[in-house]
Amino acid sequence: MTTMTTVSARGTVQVENLTQIHRSGERTTHALDNISFTIPAGKFVSVVGPSGCGKSSLLMLLVGLAQSTSGELRVAGRPVAGPDPARIGVVFQEANLFPWLTARKNVEFPLMIRNMSVKERETKARDALELVGLDEFGDRYPHELSGGMRQRVSIARGIVQDPDVLMMDEPFAALDEQTRMVMGDELLRIWERTGKTVVFVTHSLTEAIYLSDHVLVLSARPGRIIDRIDIDLPRPRTFELTSSAEFIQIRNRIWEQIRTA
Amino acid sequence: MVCPTAKTTRRIIVLILLACWELLPRLGVIPSLFLPPLTLTAAALFSEFSVYWQHLLVTLQEVGAALFFACGGGILCGMLLGSSTRLRRLLLPVVSSAYAIPLVVLYPLFTAWFGIGMQSKVVFASVYGFLPTLLGAAAGIQTIDRSLMMTARSMGASPVQQIRYVLLPATMPTVLSSLRIGGALVIVGVVVSEMLTSTAGIGFLISRYRTMLDSPRVFAAILLVLMLAILFDLLVQFAERRFTGWKKNVPAKTFP
Amino acid sequence: MALFAIPDWVVRSALVVGFLAVWELGSRTGMVDPRLLPAASTVIGTALSLLETAAFRAHLWTTIAQTMAAFIIAVPVGAILGLLIAERPYASEVLKPLVFFVFSIPKSIFLPMFILAFGIGFGQKVAFGVFSAIFIMMMTAFAAVESVKREHLMVARAMGASFIQTLRSVYAPSMAPVLLEAVRLAMIFNFTGILLAEMYASRSGVGNQMGLWGQNFMIDRLLAGILIVSVLAILFNEVVRALETRLEHWR
Repeated sequence: MTTMTTVSARGTVQVENLTQIHRSGERTTHALDNISFTIPAGKFVSVVGPSGCGKSSLLMLLVGLAQSTSGELRVAGRPVAGPDPARIGVVFQEANLFPWLTARKNVEFPLMIRNMSVKERETKARDALELVGLDEFGDRYPHELSGGMRQRVSIARGIVQDPDVLMMDEPFAALDEQTRMVMGDELLRIWERTGKTVVFVTHSLTEAIYLSDHVLVLSARPGRIIDRIDIDLPRPRTFELTSSAEFIQIRNRIWEQIRTA
Repeated sequence: MVCPTAKTTRRIIVLILLACWELLPRLGVIPSLFLPPLTLTAAALFSEFSVYWQHLLVTLQEVGAALFFACGGGILCGMLLGSSTRLRRLLLPVVSSAYAIPLVVLYPLFTAWFGIGMQSKVVFASVYGFLPTLLGAAAGIQTIDRSLMMTARSMGASPVQQIRYVLLPATMPTVLSSLRIGGALVIVGVVVSEMLTSTAGIGFLISRYRTMLDSPRVFAAILLVLMLAILFDLLVQFAERRFTGWKKNVPAKTFP
Repeated sequence: MALFAIPDWVVRSALVVGFLAVWELGSRTGMVDPRLLPAASTVIGTALSLLETAAFRAHLWTTIAQTMAAFIIAVPVGAILGLLIAERPYASEVLKPLVFFVFSIPKSIFLPMFILAFGIGFGQKVAFGVFSAIFIMMMTAFAAVESVKREHLMVARAMGASFIQTLRSVYAPSMAPVLLEAVRLAMIFNFTGILLAEMYASRSGVGNQMGLWGQNFMIDRLLAGILIVSVLAILFNEVVRALETRLEHWR
């Protein structure tokens, strides 16, 4: 277990004794049980675990869309009280783009919510779209874009306010295998260029190991952290790496834990 | 055999039909009492235009008022019904059964209650357009992707901003298509009730000319109603293209 | 919260009973003028005694006969025309927009032309009923053809099914629910058309009677007539819907 130290760097994510119990009518579900971890600023961390272990519940807490039953959650030393897209960007499993807005207007949306001037909005949206490689597709509507492109727009929308942390909830799960690999490399490129902290929830072990500095393994419900694995594989990472002995060894170790969790 | 394109063939068919409309009664194949020649009908429309116009204004007023009640009420109730699972499960079967009732039989009741003036037409047309509008709105509201609201919330949108920037644009296609369904029915409702008992309006003209056996004028009035219905439909279609062009395919369903 | 535990049919019946009770009480206590809205019990009584008079039964029979005649013509003719058009790609491309256009224009306003052409007898009512219903039948037949999945046809062919076998095992089950829906809608349109034609100009039929009662402020009979017509329409509708659900169980 990690010991908590007060780190003041922007982009540090601190989670302390987080517990969440859902109540709906008579039924209560113990989703998360006493979770603690710290993510140093600028690191890429994945969260994996068996289906229904509360990975997504954890992410909803991290982005301020849900309230924990007890425990504390701080980003850059400040507690998270609600959605705060200027500090924490979010990308969901589905791109969730507004179908009536063009790609550019979708990226501008969080800026418009904050009443930013049109000119500033346009500049920031252009930069974000360029970063994800879609500067030429700004005027397209979501239904005119492929699944991968839609998810890129969604990433651009998540980072348009230059947040310190980017939280991603199985962002590539709805994409096909090949697009998924390409998007993984894209994400690493964006991450390396911007130096943001990334919290990446996924059910793909290969994806988690391939992308991350650290992998957090959650147990079956109620979710507890049962392992934290440092991935010391060299960067930049390439596809061949996924078939190396070391990679496979890590994957087997995590699989063993999830299977018996 | 080489076929001309579908569009050309369709145009040829329409032209042949128009030619038949003119020639068949002229040649005496169809008595012109049943089908007055196209040119006579057009002449009737132009020569009597001021009379038609005067009655059209009455009809338009009734249509406007009924549109307000039928579509306003239908869309509001439909959205309410569509957004609650419990209400939907409870009431939708009742509403669908009620849809089978031939509402025409209510009109004599409304004339007995509200007289034969504009009031009874507005009430009848409102009732006539209400249910299909409601069904359309209830079905449409269910297609809205709820995760979009959550996405807006995750970006810090206030409740007011969520309604303005997400709920309103997302419900726009539903509102417009319901308006399209309801509008067509309201126009029919008003004209039919005018035909049955009234003292003014296009439907009144249709019935008056019918009792005078003046079929060119009857047909001219019918044409005017058709143009009104088509114009209304084109207007809503224009709005649909303008406001919901982002949709892959704008549904063209006119019946539930 | 407690409301959510009550089964649907109980709440639904309660709604109907509540509606009747409010109607009855409103009229009995004089909250609404009983001359304008006679009590529910009075109306039901009137409906029952109407059904016992030979004259009214004759009118009812006229209406039902006209409706059935128009229905028997409109349903097969509409379905066959629709299927023939939808089966041929070129014919569909040419004719579907035309049929759709005719479907979407209001047909009730052509009623006076039917009177000018056919008079006000049985034939005119039937013709107008057919005219009211046939286009919805054609439109739904188009939809029925589209509901047959190309993949299913391919699977059937791959397994060596004959034409008759394909017809029975792929076309029929796919199209039946849609066609039943068409029958249901055609009946609604048809019945409405016949009643309107009777109200507009006629010497017999329920619609004609109701028009007369309306002019003479016989509101108890008027409401009784509405009740009878509604019950008939809903009954037919529910029977076809029950059939639809049975045929659609696999969806």
